[in-house]
Amino acid sequence: MSLLQPVGVVSFMALAAVLFSLGLYGALSRKSAVMVLMSLELMANAVNINLVALSRFTAPAEMTGQIFAVFSMVVSAAEIGLGLALVLALYRRSQTVELDAMQELKG
Amino acid sequence: MNYVIAIPLIPALAFAILAPLSGRSRNAAVPIAVGASVITLGLSIAAFLAVWPGGHEEALYHTSITFATIGSVKLAAGILLDPISATMLVVVTLVGAAVQVYSLGYMHRDERIGWYYAVLSLFTAAMLGLVLSDNFLQLYMAWEVMGLCSYLLIGFWHEQEAPRKASIKAFLTTRVGDIGFALALAVMYKTAGSFDFAVVLHDFAWAPGAATAVALLLLFGAMGKSAQVPLHVWLPDAMAGPTPASALIHAATMVAAGVFLVARALPIFEASGVALTVTMFVGITTALVGGLLASVQHDIKKVLAYSTISQLGYMFVALGAGGIVAGFYHLVTHAFFKSLLFLGAGVIIHAAHTQDMREMGGLAKKMPVTTVTFTIGSLALAGIFPFSGFWSKDEILTVLWHGEHYVVFVLALVAAFVTAFYVARLWFRVFSGPEQTSGLKEAHVEMLVPMSVLAAVTSVIGFGSPYFAEFLGHVGEWPAAAIALTSTAVAGLGLALGWWAYGRRNQVLNTRPLKSRAGFVYAALAQKLYFDLTYDYFIVRQYGRLAGALSEFDRTVVDGIVNGAGAIWRAGADVGALIDRVVIDGAVNGVATLVRAVGARVRRIQTGRVQSYQALMLAALVVLMLWFVVKGA
Repeated sequence: MSLLQPVGVVSFMALAAVLFSLGLYGALSRKSAVMVLMSLELMANAVNINLVALSRFTAPAEMTGQIFAVFSMVVSAAEIGLGLALVLALYRRSQTVELDAMQELKG
Repeated sequence: MNYVIAIPLIPALAFAILAPLSGRSRNAAVPIAVGASVITLGLSIAAFLAVWPGGHEEALYHTSITFATIGSVKLAAGILLDPISATMLVVVTLVGAAVQVYSLGYMHRDERIGWYYAVLSLFTAAMLGLVLSDNFLQLYMAWEVMGLCSYLLIGFWHEQEAPRKASIKAFLTTRVGDIGFALALAVMYKTAGSFDFAVVLHDFAWAPGAATAVALLLLFGAMGKSAQVPLHVWLPDAMAGPTPASALIHAATMVAAGVFLVARALPIFEASGVALTVTMFVGITTALVGGLLASVQHDIKKVLAYSTISQLGYMFVALGAGGIVAGFYHLVTHAFFKSLLFLGAGVIIHAAHTQDMREMGGLAKKMPVTTVTFTIGSLALAGIFPFSGFWSKDEILTVLWHGEHYVVFVLALVAAFVTAFYVARLWFRVFSGPEQTSGLKEAHVEMLVPMSVLAAVTSVIGFGSPYFAEFLGHVGEWPAAAIALTSTAVAGLGLALGWWAYGRRNQVLNTRPLKSRAGFVYAALAQKLYFDLTYDYFIVRQYGRLAGALSEFDRTVVDGIVNGAGAIWRAGADVGALIDRVVIDGAVNGVATLVRAVGARVRRIQTGRVQSYQALMLAALVVLMLWFVVKGA
């Protein structure tokens, strides 16, 4: 794989994989709940990229991937809104957004 | 004549009012009982006067209701007013009213006087129900109620041991006789098919065998109630009860119920023949035994008790000779003069603070009314003209003479002699000689009035004897002069001997003239002719041994079986419990322990940290992907 090659599906998928991995790492390692949510968004957008790219390169006429990506973004927006609201509620309750401080569900 | 029904019901009502009350309110209701007895007396006299001019043996008023039906057998209760029952009505209610008024004075300090009056009322109701009954079954039921009342009154002072024991003895002894009565009822119904007097006594033709069976069983019942030898042992002990109750129940009325029963059932006795002879034999034995035993008692009430037994025996003799008039008439006169004597004895006991005649004396000077009335009663008992006992005793002797029962006639004269002797002994011991008690004074007026009434009746009733016989439907006549003179001479001899032994100046302080002259006779008599000892040895003690043996059997065999079965069950239950504990509990606890151990280990992955869950999910994803890769390859 050479940098001079035309941009193809593999490039998109590589980008998506990098983004997903960054998101996964962030979700696993960040202490702040806000940062974890942002990392989750990264992973979601990696998936969106995959959807759009694969649709563009396999069946461009139908545009199913693009449309599905738009749905996915809407759902992500709603999800992040809910997630931030939960974080806010948690903050009000315990004056912190550190995930390590939240262990009430320990078995 | 409908008011006759009310006669037994009024005292029953008095009992129904008094019995449910308690303590002080019951004591306050005593006038109700006294009032009821006086009203009953009035009604009875009215009924008697209504019957009197008729003067024959037919029923003048008869009504009956069926109170129970068993299968096709109808059980009836009825009221039969005829000369016999009308006479008994007056006797029972007059003595009853006298005793109730007298008890106002005698019992007024007792804290349970209300209960005493309640039982007296129930007794009066039962006795009236008995004399008015028109069938043997009702008679038997009233009979048993009277037995209960007798038991309650003998044991009235149940805080003390003697009345308690005496009440049980009286109840059980009369119970022995009652069995005879109950069997008589069974045989009677089996043969005659009815309990009604009209059927059993008049319409039904008795075969001699059946009649003998029924008559002897009835006689046995009567012997228990009327304290005839050998079932007499309860009556002297019954003197442990209140003296007025003794006067009413154990002298005048209840003990006469046996005589009344035999008088009522006399047609059956006559159909049998043998039963009459047995009745006469029992009666004369009792008359002699009772008289002899009365002669050695020191307790004034026991003298009167044995005297009662003796006089009841006299009545049986008369009935056994077929002399219903003589026997029944003696019942009536005896009821009056013996209740008079008992009431007098009550006054004497109150005044002298003892029942032992050896500790009495000289009462005549301080207690004139008591002395006069008691003397009238004593002379009537001894059979001295013109008092009532003279007339009825002469009638009995006349019947025996005319019936050609010469041996019994002589024995009856002996009994009369003994009677006069112990009457004199009693009288001289109590009334003459030096005073032994300080502070003697006459009794209250409510005690003296009933005694005076009874004394008046005793004085005059004898002159009615021929009219009484006609009233009962027999030929009435004055006693023959020969018999009257003989009996008076015998009684006079008895009194004279009594005076010689106890009344003479130098004999007054000799407490044991008989013992000093005839020791072995005295010993036998003092031991009550060994009746009580015999019963104690052969019945009470053997019964006790039997009960002990049965108790031992119960303890060892029956209890052993029960306890053995229990032990077996228990062992089985122990095994079951062991299985339960080890196997079932083990399984349950084992499962629980297992779950707990697994949980303790598994819970460690439940850290509560979102990111560790994520890491786990990632690891699981990787593993799955690797698995797919490997599988795909």
